[in-house]
Amino acid sequence: MTPDLKVTLAGVEFKNPVMTASGCCGYGEELAKVFPLAKLGALVTKSITLAPRPGHPPPRTAETASGMLNAIGLANVGVDRFISDIMPFLNRQKTRLIVNVAGSRIQEYVEVCARLNDIEHIDMVELNISCPNVDEGGMEFGNDPVMTEKSIAEVKKVLRKPLIAKLSPNVTDIVAIARAAEQGGADVLSLINSVLGTAIDIETWRPRLTNNRGGLTGPAIKPIALAKVDAVYNKCSLPLIGIGGINDYRDAVEFFLCGARAVQVGTALFVYPDAPVRIVEGLKEYLKRKKIKSVNDIIGKVRKY
Amino acid sequence: MINISCEDTVLIKKRSLKNAYFSFTFGPYSRVDQCYPGNFIHLKLSETQIYFRRAMSVAGVNKKKKEIEIIFKVMGRGTELLSRFKPTDHVNILGPLGNTFTPPRKSERAVIIAGGIGFPPLMFFAGELVRNGYDPERIEFFYGGRTAADILERSRIKKLGVNFHPVTDDGSLGHRGLVTRMVEEYIKSHPDEKLRLYGCGPEAMLKATDSLGLKYSLPGQLSLEAPMPCGVGICLGCVVPLKAGGQARVCADGPVFEIGEVAL
Ligand SMILES: Cc1cc2nc3c(=O)[nH]c(=O)nc-3n(C[C@H](O)[C@H](O)[C@H](O)COP(=O)(O)O)c2cc1C
Ligand code: FES
Repeated sequence: MTPDLKVTLAGVEFKNPVMTASGCCGYGEELAKVFPLAKLGALVTKSITLAPRPGHPPPRTAETASGMLNAIGLANVGVDRFISDIMPFLNRQKTRLIVNVAGSRIQEYVEVCARLNDIEHIDMVELNISCPNVDEGGMEFGNDPVMTEKSIAEVKKVLRKPLIAKLSPNVTDIVAIARAAEQGGADVLSLINSVLGTAIDIETWRPRLTNNRGGLTGPAIKPIALAKVDAVYNKCSLPLIGIGGINDYRDAVEFFLCGARAVQVGTALFVYPDAPVRIVEGLKEYLKRKKIKSVNDIIGKVRKY
Repeated sequence: MINISCEDTVLIKKRSLKNAYFSFTFGPYSRVDQCYPGNFIHLKLSETQIYFRRAMSVAGVNKKKKEIEIIFKVMGRGTELLSRFKPTDHVNILGPLGNTFTPPRKSERAVIIAGGIGFPPLMFFAGELVRNGYDPERIEFFYGGRTAADILERSRIKKLGVNFHPVTDDGSLGHRGLVTRMVEEYIKSHPDEKLRLYGCGPEAMLKATDSLGLKYSLPGQLSLEAPMPCGVGICLGCVVPLKAGGQARVCADGPVFEIGEVAL
């Protein structure tokens, strides 16, 4: 018996619960040279903004203990070129597609979402209200429950697809933000985005990122991410997507046990670009070994003291 | 098309060169046939705590034995741990990655300009040109370093039959001075020859080579280095600005760029 990996989020069925994380797989073209994208539960694109953005000047990544800092700065082709140049490729991929949207004003989120509405192949939109790497916008929205609810409500007015709100860990009370997102009309929550951090070169006394600070990702942040998922699970009724330092199926299982219904894999793609495929295989073996029929049977089943 | 893979392989030969440089040969590696000069591999130091891969340009392949060689210098914690690997230790190779050098036309003379740790891909390039029937007499191999100890694999390069021009800052081997200054002398004294430049080395050397190409209207290519988290074009961490505006990823759009292309 092969275990059932299918999960459903906001009425959309995914063949397995393993997705790529935004900003860690471009628009999928490179990963398609490593494995058929159809093996993914879903592909989540790099954040798309209204106008193209070059991002911050290099250096914009720095290696740290068990992780990395990045301040890419939402470099992307902009929504128009995304639709004209990238969508034809994505339309040929037999995978669920989630487009991540970022902006510096609420109106920008709304306009980008409006343009994505009519593209049939896009299954969901993920709203990046949690980017630590741009001065205006991004995290500013996700830091404040009022702004969170407002930006999501405005987007929901125009968007005819299910909406995922991507939450930041860089807040005092993530449950308050999660509830505000639910109040605003989000259908799913994904967490976490990167953890604010920095590193300094002690010879030159310069930060190792031109942006002076960045977002920490990779194995180093997994315990933080797990604790956030655990904190939000059961405190609001939305399904959760766990993100942060997921490197193999064991990490993914920990997130499911803490309440995540799906996971996204980011930094691990930089080490093994086929990491999601390995995780899906590992997950199947794990469930078989545990004689569990469906991945849905382990969600939120952590046996707490 | 699926054409990038992760493959476990084993260190089979380790040579300690001078000055903290090492030559490592891994095998069997099934994709040696797809490795061309300019390409690099992304190496996972399995058996260590180092999480990210290390990019290494291909220094040579043995297609019959399915072996691949890299040459690296100990620069930080990753390369330091790698230098302690022993034969039979495992690594995982992601690759081959990146683009390749364009060979010179029959009518052109190849002027290779290597600096420091930039020589391995150029040595591979010169070797493959000769193997493919390009006259070694038409390859000028300039190689700059601080002292004689920085000019590695001399007999191996000379054995290719190329015209070898070592250049050192202190004059302890070959000409004394900057390698790009010697290259300029060469260009000036060969006004009637069609030359094509190939550079790989420290940033200042690349910049000077780029300027030479533009000043004397010579075509050519530069191979760049950058910190590379992913190596396959998905993290956007390795970008360089282009003179025409916009950016390029060193890993996926390079590492080899045309002279005049990158804002160095
Ligand atoms: C280089 C890089 C770029 C990223 N870009 C984005 C982005 O554009 N939008 C976004 O919502 N998250 C972005 N993220 C955050 C990831 O999607 C993810 O939330 C975070 O990396 C934690 O997961 P991980 O530890 O598996 O990488 C980026 C992360 C990295 C490492
Ligand atoms: S190293 Fe990731 S894009 Fe080049």
